[in-house]
Amino acid sequence: MRNNLNNKFCHVERSRDACNIPKRGARTSTSLGLTLVCVLVVGLFYSCQKNIDVNIPDYVQKLVVEGKIEAGSTPEVYLSYSVPYFGNHTQNLSDFAVKGAVVTVNDGITTDTLKDISGLGYYYKALNMVGVSGKTYNLTILLNGKTYTSSTSIYPQVKLDTLWFKVLRDDSLGFVYTYMTEPAGLGNSYRWFAKRIGKDQNFIAPLGSAFDDKFIDGKSFEFAYNRGMLQGSTANDDNNNERSYFKLNDKVVVKFCSIGYNEFRFFRSYDANIISNGNPFAAPTNLENNVHGENVLGVWCGYNAYYDTLICK
Amino acid sequence: MLRLSSILFLLFYLSFFVTRSQNFTISGTIKEKKTGELAIGATIYIKEVKKGTTTNNYGFYSITLPKGNYTIICMYLGYNTQSDSIQLNKDLVNDISLVQTGVEMQEVVVSGERPDVNVKSSQMGQVTLDMKQIKRLPAFMGEVDVLKTIQLLPGVKSAGDGQSGFYVRGGGPDQNLILLDEAVVYNASHLMGFFSVFNGDAIKNVTLTKGGMPAQYGGRLSSVLDITMKDGNNQNFQVDGGIGLIASRLTVQGPIKKDTSSFIVSARRTYVDVITKPIFTHLKSEFAGTRYFFYDLNTKFNYRLNAKNSLYLSGYFGKDVFLFKDNESGFGVETAWGNATASLRWSHIFNSKLFANTSLIYSYYNFSFSALQDNFEFKIFSGIRDHNAKVDFSWFPNSRHSVKFGLNYVYHIFIPTNASARSGETKFDLGDIIKLYSHEAHAYLGDDWDLTDRLRINAGARFSYFVHVGPFTRFVKDPFTKLTDTVVYSTGKKIKDYHALEPRVSLRYELSKSLSLKASYTNNYQYIHLASISAVSLPTDVWMPSTEVIKPQIGNQYALGVFKNFKENMFETSIEGYYKDMKNLIEYKEGAQPQDNVKDNPDNSFTFGRGEAFGAEFFVKKREGKFTGWVGYTLSWTNRRFAEINSGKTYFAKYDRRHDISLVGTYEFNEKWVASAVFVFNTGNRGTLPNSLYLFEQSVNVDYGGRNAYQFASYHRLDLSATFTPDRNKQLEKKRKRLEKRYVKKGKDPAQIVLPKKYAKNFGHSWTFSVFNAYNRHNPYFIYFDTKGSILTGDFRVQARQVSLFPVLPSVTWNFKF
Repeated sequence: MRNNLNNKFCHVERSRDACNIPKRGARTSTSLGLTLVCVLVVGLFYSCQKNIDVNIPDYVQKLVVEGKIEAGSTPEVYLSYSVPYFGNHTQNLSDFAVKGAVVTVNDGITTDTLKDISGLGYYYKALNMVGVSGKTYNLTILLNGKTYTSSTSIYPQVKLDTLWFKVLRDDSLGFVYTYMTEPAGLGNSYRWFAKRIGKDQNFIAPLGSAFDDKFIDGKSFEFAYNRGMLQGSTANDDNNNERSYFKLNDKVVVKFCSIGYNEFRFFRSYDANIISNGNPFAAPTNLENNVHGENVLGVWCGYNAYYDTLICK
Repeated sequence: MLRLSSILFLLFYLSFFVTRSQNFTISGTIKEKKTGELAIGATIYIKEVKKGTTTNNYGFYSITLPKGNYTIICMYLGYNTQSDSIQLNKDLVNDISLVQTGVEMQEVVVSGERPDVNVKSSQMGQVTLDMKQIKRLPAFMGEVDVLKTIQLLPGVKSAGDGQSGFYVRGGGPDQNLILLDEAVVYNASHLMGFFSVFNGDAIKNVTLTKGGMPAQYGGRLSSVLDITMKDGNNQNFQVDGGIGLIASRLTVQGPIKKDTSSFIVSARRTYVDVITKPIFTHLKSEFAGTRYFFYDLNTKFNYRLNAKNSLYLSGYFGKDVFLFKDNESGFGVETAWGNATASLRWSHIFNSKLFANTSLIYSYYNFSFSALQDNFEFKIFSGIRDHNAKVDFSWFPNSRHSVKFGLNYVYHIFIPTNASARSGETKFDLGDIIKLYSHEAHAYLGDDWDLTDRLRINAGARFSYFVHVGPFTRFVKDPFTKLTDTVVYSTGKKIKDYHALEPRVSLRYELSKSLSLKASYTNNYQYIHLASISAVSLPTDVWMPSTEVIKPQIGNQYALGVFKNFKENMFETSIEGYYKDMKNLIEYKEGAQPQDNVKDNPDNSFTFGRGEAFGAEFFVKKREGKFTGWVGYTLSWTNRRFAEINSGKTYFAKYDRRHDISLVGTYEFNEKWVASAVFVFNTGNRGTLPNSLYLFEQSVNVDYGGRNAYQFASYHRLDLSATFTPDRNKQLEKKRKRLEKRYVKKGKDPAQIVLPKKYAKNFGHSWTFSVFNAYNRHNPYFIYFDTKGSILTGDFRVQARQVSLFPVLPSVTWNFKF
C-alpha cells in the first residue's frame, strides 16, 4: 500500500520535473510538495488508504472536444460527453461517444464537413481539407441545437538538432535527449510526443509535453523527455520499473510540434489537471479551453510537426 | 449623536484630572523569586477599592489611588498569592517577588471577592496560555507545541494533520500576526506544519487575541499571537533538556551578574537524519544522502541598567533542510527554509505613571530550492526581510485610565519567486531578481477607561500608512496573460501608497461581580499578503506587499459576549458571537501555475474578492484544582466570493467548519503522576473534488466541480499523555536509608554519609508518555481517484480513495533539569 503511494508520487515527480527541462522551473512548488510528501508519508510515517464512496455534488454534462489539424493532414475531431463519476462500475466508449454532431472546419475560403466514419460517433474526420502552415482554421460544431466554436492556426515548423538516448538506471533504461535552438522572438509554443514502434499504437505526450518560450526565447540548449503513458494504463512496462523510461533498442519516433499560445495554455492546464488528482498540494485545476460554447471543454489545436526517429543505443 | 459624543468627550477629559491633586501612584515590577523572570499578566488588586490592574509584557504595573491605607494583593496562576498592607501618602515603588506554589491547590485563598481578568477586563476574544499547562498536554511525537495548543481554543482552527497555518474566526493563515519577542515570524512551522518553530523550553508566555484587537496591534485582519521568550534565570544557573523520539532539546540559562543580568540559550534539533544515514549507507541505497532535519535556536540576554532602565536582546534562528538524492539517475534536490529574528529592546520607566519600550527589530524569512540532474541545474528562492523600529508607551494617569500609544515604522523588502536555470553552458532567461520595497508606518492611541464602576471602555485608533517604492519592474499583461509592456520604476520612486484610520472600541458592562457583557468593534487594514498557489500552505508561498494591483485587505469585526465565572473563579465561562467581513482578499487565479511567478509579477496572477465569517464560541474552563482543563465549542460559517473563481458564485472557504469541539483535561493524581487527554471533533474540511470524468487523448481524466463543494468526513481524534516525575526527596531518603544500613553494618557513623554526586539536590527528571490518535481514527488527509482499465476494452473503473496520515502513534520523552 505504501509502496503504491510512494510510486505514485515519486513517479509523477520524476516524470514531471526531473526530465522536462524547459518545464523544470515550472513545477517547483508541486515538485517540492511531492518530494516532501514522499519522504513524509513513506520515510517517516506509516500511512493508510482505503476505498470510500463519495457523493459528487452538482454534476453537469459537458461536451468534450479534442480537435487537431496538422500541417499536411486532414482535420480530426473526437467528440465525447463527460460522465458522472459512477463509483465502482465499469464503463466503455459508448458511455462517452457523441453521435450526430455536425462538425465543420473553415480555412477562410473553403469549408469542409467532418464525417462520423464508423457511424458509432466519437471520431469525426475531414475527407478533403489538408492543413497548411500559416493558415487559420475555424471549427464549428452543431449538436442538439447548440453551437460550439473555436479557432486555431498552424505555426511554422521548428526542428530539433539531434536525438540521443542516455541510460539512467538499471543499465538499460533512460530518457530521450535532444538539442534545440529556439527561434528568437517571443510567442512560440511547442508540444512533444513520442511513439515506440511496435510497442505504442499512437503518439503519446508525457506530462509537461507543452512549453512556451517565456524562459528559453532565442536560446540553444539540451533537454530531455521521459516516456509518457496513458492514464490508467495496465501495460506491464507502465507498471514496473520501466515505467516512464525508454529502453535500450527501443525504436522511438519523436514528433515535435509548433502550437499556438492558447493551445499551449490548454495543454498546460490539462497536465495540471492530471497531476492534481491525488496530490494534496496541487490546487485542483480545470481546463483552459479554447473551444467556446455552453458546457464545453477541450481544445482545437493546429500542429506543425517535425518528426525524427531514434534507435535507443 | 453630536451631543452624546460631546458629553462623552467632556467626561473623558475631566476624568483625567478630576481628582488628580489628592492621588498617589503605586507602581513596580513583578517577578518570579526563584528565577527573576518578569511576570506577564499578573493581577494587582486593591482590596479596599476593589480595583485592579495587570502587569504588562515587562512585568510593570501602575495604579493611582487617593491617599489612604490599602491592602495590595498580587495574584498569578501557579504562584502563592501575596498580600501587603501599604500606607499611600506619596508615590510608591512596590516591586513584588512571587513564590511558586508546589501544587496549585495550596494557593492561598484570599477572602472577599477576587478579581478576574475574564470578567473584569474590557478585552474580549483574548486567551493567555500557561506554558506549564501546555507542557502537560499530549504532544505530537512528544514535541510540545504552542501552535497546536492554541488550535484547541474556540474560534481557532487547525488546517488538519500535516498542514501548517491556523485559521482564526474565518480568516486566512496570513491574517495572523505571529510575534516572538515583538519580532514578526513569517513562517511558524517546521516540516509542513507537523511542528511549530516555538521551542516550549524557551517560551514564557503565549497570548492569542482573536477579536477586539486593541490599538497597539495592527497590520493583520484576524489575530495576534504574542509570544514572549523567557528572560533567563538571573539567580542561578539552570540546565533543562529533553530527549524525544525525533528531536532533542537543551536549554541553558543563568545570571551574568546576579539580579542584574541573565542569559538563556535554548536549542532543539531533530535527528531522524542522523539515525537513517548509517542505514542508507549500510544498504548502499541509491537514495543515500537523502535527509531531512530542522533545528532552532533561541537566545536572549537582558541587562537591568538600573531601577528604571532595562535592555533586552533576543534572537531566534531556525531552519528546515531537505536533501533528496537519487544517486543512480543523478537527480538531486536541496530545499531549505527558515526564519531569523532579532530584537533589541529598551524598557524605560519615566515615572510611576509612564512606561516606555523602544524596540529595534529584524525579521527574515527565506526559502530556497535547487535541483540538479546531469547538466541541468535549477534554483529558486523567495523571502521577506523587515527592519522595524517602534516605541510603545503605557501611561496610567489615574486609576480610571490606562492609556497606550506609540509609533511603528517598518521597512519591508520582499523577494517573491526568483529563479535561475542553466543547461550546460546555456543560462535560461528567468528574468532579473525582482525585489519589492515598501515602507509601513503606524501611530496608535488607545485608552482603557473605567467610565463608571460597571462600564469600562477600551477605545482607540490606529493610523496606518503604506507605500510601495522603486526600484521595481512591472510586467504589463493583456487579458490573455501575454506580456505587452514593461514599466521600470527608479529607486525610491513612489509607485502606490495607501493610508487608513482604523478605529477600535470594546466595552465591558459588569452585571455582577462574576458576570459581564462585552461588545467590540475592530477595523483593520492589512498591507502585506500571502497567497498560496497550491491547495495548502507551503513554505513556497510568497509574501507580497500592497502594490498598484494589490489593495490592502480590510476587515471589520463585530463581537458580543457574555462572561461568567463560577465558584470563586474556579470556572471561567464565556459565550462570544462574532461577525466579520473582509475585503480585497487574495487568491491565485484559477489555473495559475508556479512558473507564472517567475519573470513576472506574482500579483499579475492574483484575483481579489470578499469574505464573510460569523459564528458563536462557547468556552468553559476549570482553572484550578487537581483537575483542570477546558471545553470549547465553535459553531461557524465562512464563505468567499471572487469574481474570477467558481464562476463568481459564493463558496465556502476551505476551513469553513460548522462544528468544532475541543475537550482538554489534565488531572494531577499526586506529585508523581499527571495525566492529560485531548479530544477534538470537527466537521471535515472542504475541498474541490472531481464531479465528472472526461475522455481526452485516450485517457480518462477528471473534471472538477464547484470550489470547495465537497466536504470531507469529520475529523476526530483522542490524544493521551502521562507525565511521571519521580519524587526526588523520597528517592534521596531511600538512598540515604540504604547507605545508613550499609554504614551501620560496617560500623561507620551514619552522620558521615556522603551521597554520590548524581544525587546533587538540583537534579530532577521526568518521563512523558503520550499516545497520538489513541483509537486509531483514519482521518481524511486527501482523496484521489484511482482509474483502472480502458474504456476501449470496456473494463474501465474508477474508485475514490482516501489517504490518512497518522495511525495511533505512541511516543516517550525524557526531560531533565539541574
